[in-house]
Amino acid sequence: MRRLPAPVHPVAWWLWAIGLAVAASFTTDPLLLLLLIGVACFVVVLRRGDAPWARSLRVYLLLGAFIVVVRVAFRCFLGASGSGTVLLDLPRIPLPDWAAGVSLLGPIHLSDVLDGLYDGLRLAAMIICIGAANSLANPKRLLKVVPIALYDIGTVVVVAVSVFPQIADSIGRVRRAQRLRPDSGGRKWHVVRRMIVPVLADALDRSLLLAAAMDSRGYGRRGPTPVRTRRILGVLTVAGLIAVCIGVFGVLDDRAPAAFRWPAFVLGVALAAVGLAFSARERTVTRYRVDPFGVTACAVAASGLAAGGLMILAGQYAPAHLNPSTTPATWPVVDLLPLMAAVIGLLAAVVSPPSAIQGLDEEVPA
Amino acid sequence: MIELRDLSIRYADDRPPELAHVDLHIEEGELALVIGRTGVGKSTLLGAINGLVPHFTGGRLSGNVVVAGMDTRDHPPREMADVVGRVGQDPVAGFVADTVEDELAYGMEQLGVAPATMRKRVEETLDLLGIAALRGRSLATLSGGQQQRVAIGSALVTAPRVLVLDEPTSALDPGSAEEVLAAITRLVHDLGTTVVMAEHRLERAVQYADSVIAMPGGGVVRSGDPATMMIDAPVAPPVVELGRLCSWTPLPLSVRDARRAARPLRGRLADPSPRARPAGDVALRAKGVTVQYRERVAVRDVTLQLAAGTVTALMGRNGSGKSSLLWSLQGSGPRSAGSVLVDGVETSGDAKRGSTSGPQIGLVPQTAADLLYLESVGEECAAAGPEARALLDHLAPGIDDGQHPRDLSEGQRLSLVLAIQLAGRPRVLLLDEPTRGLDYTAKALLTQQLDTLARDGHAVLVATHDVEFVAGLADRVVVLADGDVIADGPTADVVASSPIFAPQVAKVLAPQEFLTVRDVARALGDSRELG
Amino acid sequence: MKSLTAARTAGDGQDLVTTLGGHAVPLRARSAVMLVLISIAGLAMFCWPLLTHHDASGSAHVTDAPIIFAVTLPLLVFVILAEFADGGMDSKALAMLGVLSAVDAALRPTGGGTGGIETVFFLLILAGRVFGPGFGFVLGCTSLFASALITAGVGPWLPFQMLCSAWIGMGAGLLPRRVRGTREIVMLIGYGIVSAYLFGALMNLYSWPFLAGADISGHANLAYSSAYSLLENLHRFGVYTLVTSTGGWDTGRAITNAVAIAVLGRPVLVVLRRAARRASYDLVRSAD
Repeated sequence: MRRLPAPVHPVAWWLWAIGLAVAASFTTDPLLLLLLIGVACFVVVLRRGDAPWARSLRVYLLLGAFIVVVRVAFRCFLGASGSGTVLLDLPRIPLPDWAAGVSLLGPIHLSDVLDGLYDGLRLAAMIICIGAANSLANPKRLLKVVPIALYDIGTVVVVAVSVFPQIADSIGRVRRAQRLRPDSGGRKWHVVRRMIVPVLADALDRSLLLAAAMDSRGYGRRGPTPVRTRRILGVLTVAGLIAVCIGVFGVLDDRAPAAFRWPAFVLGVALAAVGLAFSARERTVTRYRVDPFGVTACAVAASGLAAGGLMILAGQYAPAHLNPSTTPATWPVVDLLPLMAAVIGLLAAVVSPPSAIQGLDEEVPA
Repeated sequence: MIELRDLSIRYADDRPPELAHVDLHIEEGELALVIGRTGVGKSTLLGAINGLVPHFTGGRLSGNVVVAGMDTRDHPPREMADVVGRVGQDPVAGFVADTVEDELAYGMEQLGVAPATMRKRVEETLDLLGIAALRGRSLATLSGGQQQRVAIGSALVTAPRVLVLDEPTSALDPGSAEEVLAAITRLVHDLGTTVVMAEHRLERAVQYADSVIAMPGGGVVRSGDPATMMIDAPVAPPVVELGRLCSWTPLPLSVRDARRAARPLRGRLADPSPRARPAGDVALRAKGVTVQYRERVAVRDVTLQLAAGTVTALMGRNGSGKSSLLWSLQGSGPRSAGSVLVDGVETSGDAKRGSTSGPQIGLVPQTAADLLYLESVGEECAAAGPEARALLDHLAPGIDDGQHPRDLSEGQRLSLVLAIQLAGRPRVLLLDEPTRGLDYTAKALLTQQLDTLARDGHAVLVATHDVEFVAGLADRVVVLADGDVIADGPTADVVASSPIFAPQVAKVLAPQEFLTVRDVARALGDSRELG
Repeated sequence: MKSLTAARTAGDGQDLVTTLGGHAVPLRARSAVMLVLISIAGLAMFCWPLLTHHDASGSAHVTDAPIIFAVTLPLLVFVILAEFADGGMDSKALAMLGVLSAVDAALRPTGGGTGGIETVFFLLILAGRVFGPGFGFVLGCTSLFASALITAGVGPWLPFQMLCSAWIGMGAGLLPRRVRGTREIVMLIGYGIVSAYLFGALMNLYSWPFLAGADISGHANLAYSSAYSLLENLHRFGVYTLVTSTGGWDTGRAITNAVAIAVLGRPVLVVLRRAARRASYDLVRSAD
């Protein structure tokens, strides 16, 4: 059976990526991390479309590399203090008091390099998983699934995204036109000003026309507003936020009473979420062609979440091999369970159909 | 369907009313055409129909506007949305989404239409307007006519009983405008939608109207049958002016009717007198100009000479290379090959930068406002040079120094940009689509301004779609197609025989080569003298 | 409901008058309370490395905290955005927000963040100044969100950036309103410089534990340690941010802000105020 090209629900890709990122966060084993990165990249290359955001993976790979380098550099050159084999014996340069007892350089041990490398690789893997989600999930479709309370904000972002190319056009047009002004002498900053002011004025004029068009097409319709429900939701939300505030500080402080820690935090978050989910119910908006969260989407999400779940499980049963020792340095060992966790994400590529290629009709009218 | 009862609207109590005691009745299924000069309150009248005025704009409304039984006093625009659909002048400015399908669905999403129904109606609307092939396309990649049809579709998709269009074709080229008007008339005939439309270019619209709502100014509104209303309407297309000149009754509204009425006239008329301005020496000499964007050749090996003291029109459909040629002649646009000499000096590249005499060529771009960046007319003039202010007063008297350039009318803004460009004393002046968005009065003023400039010894080149404007102004017409010059000659020779570029008067009086009503009037005067 | 009753009293014989005025995104009492609460919680989520008090042994939660916060903060930001939207944002405010976000996103690539030339903030500050704190807050969020969508930069850092720039936009709206003319520009330049460094410090604080790592073994390498006191961690962070970014990005950003506001401040304020006048918000309906 051949599956038809179709878009997969963007939330499914995000869940998949988050699952992989969670898996990455539970290990510092470089083999597993590289495997996870490989899985993420492989699925992206197979399943991304031809949209501009699909090309963003490279940026994230570079960012990941940057993170690894920075992390290793921090470990090695800012008061390295590992043990074991010395790779490079540099003189230690103590800094004055104000620098919080930090010293520069000093002998660099193998464990410093490995610690930095493993840590950095873990963070890089998480970032690359996020990058994979960015490449795979269509952000515009993502905006269609926001709760109704966020409909307006979603619309702002949709407007921004669709006006964006017009602004870019407008900048090009103004730049060309400005070259015609006979007085291009004058002060240099004039150039910037001559660009920004017409573009901005044009954009703002446009916004008024847009608002009129939106109003004429029924934007902002509401059903009757149940005052009591609104009030209750308001109280709930505020109470939830207060609980979150208490909870945040509680979570960070071992000395806080138990009730003010996780329970308060979780309760607060739950209340705020309820408030968000149930507010603006009087809005009568419906959505056009929302991607169904079907079997495919479930399977994609499940393969990612399974990766996270298996890795957590592995952490419970055999934590030792997930974080290879650096003092003394040993070869990383990969158990079967974490290995499964690392590669199960590949299933996403198997269960999802190829992405539909949009018609390449990007002809720019002259 | 639409009832205006003793309607008065003013935006501020210290300003004169936009509409004063208007009583108006528009029947169901009618195509009503609103005509009048810029600034007489056409947009206010149209905005009042769905309640944008005063709910959105602010202002004082007395009297009532009732559409399909709903009074706009009690119903803001969002509640009128399923009764009145509205389409603005610039389709792009009103787009919320970024693909055709999503844009069509937006209105229904707001009204809470069930997803299955939405899907069906979107498909129907796509077919109705013949844009099904565009469904997944990004709106930015469509042509102007396609964009405006999408905008009409997105207003229609909620099946409103009234469609209000505020100058839907004024920003379009003739082909696209034709496309849009055809779509509108089909709606009226097939769906029975009531349409109220304001339109500048009456030569295209008036023949389709069932009734005409004329706004002579001062907030007064009169309405009636097109043929009677056009007798003394404040603005009129050439065919109507010809009818008025010859006192034809009933007044013809289309070329077909006028041609029938003109049968006796054609015999009486003497041949038109040639009216070319005396050409001076050659001011601009372009040879082998080629413009290439990567694979696409926009202008191919064009050779062109512009004589001082003449006006040349550059015509051709969208994308035929008109703009590319203008920018390349001016010297700031790309040019792959060829040379452009003004008084023997190359216009582009280092030669221009090295010279101290200022630009030899002025160019007024399509969106003239792009040139303006200061906060007042006075500052703009001062920045342009000492002569700009005097030039502006000469071109369009009565523009206040303190006004914000963006608050000026389209025509005034064009005059300002013209003055700024002329302040550098260029010998050659290029204009790209200057008539876009101008009404008859502003166009007449522009014609007069350019005529004066030509008589002062400038060489003027105007890229335009507007055949009537060309007929009234140009000495010579150059037609571009796909980057090549396919016709070049005196206006009458090029234009009169062409089915697309011929002005209405030429169509009426063919085979005699009259281009404008003024030519006819002059010929009539002559023939009367002779007789 | 107010508007409907007003319309009904405006019966047939009387004129319907709508006057324009008010704020684009009104800051109601309820919104303000929520804003304060979310700002407190959000600030704590930025500063958690400084606030932790754990015995050296019980460091399990420490690694959890950033992940939990990364999940929670977006929710909080959404709650406050929904509250603002619910509090009477009309289509004009919405369109203005959308268009300004797009302009902001378009300005971003011109700087690209290289060498700290970050052009996002200058327009945010000026718009916040003209349209008020509520608008500034929402614009801060939406412009970063839109630009993240356009550049595919969505990630756990995004809510933190959004909140940070939202504070900047809001702060600009809260500056004394009566200052005008040159003094206004000077004030805004000052604010631009301060906010550039604050933004830098907060975002550094956010990335500090990730880039410098957690100092579990108690060695001095500029990383935070939950065993240290607030002051000690703050000291370490101070040094960290001073060496890593104050000299470069933050100063670059501050200079960009200052120069941009000095050069473009006045004309852009004029353009924005003109738009605000033409597109006044909040229909106040009355019958007389």
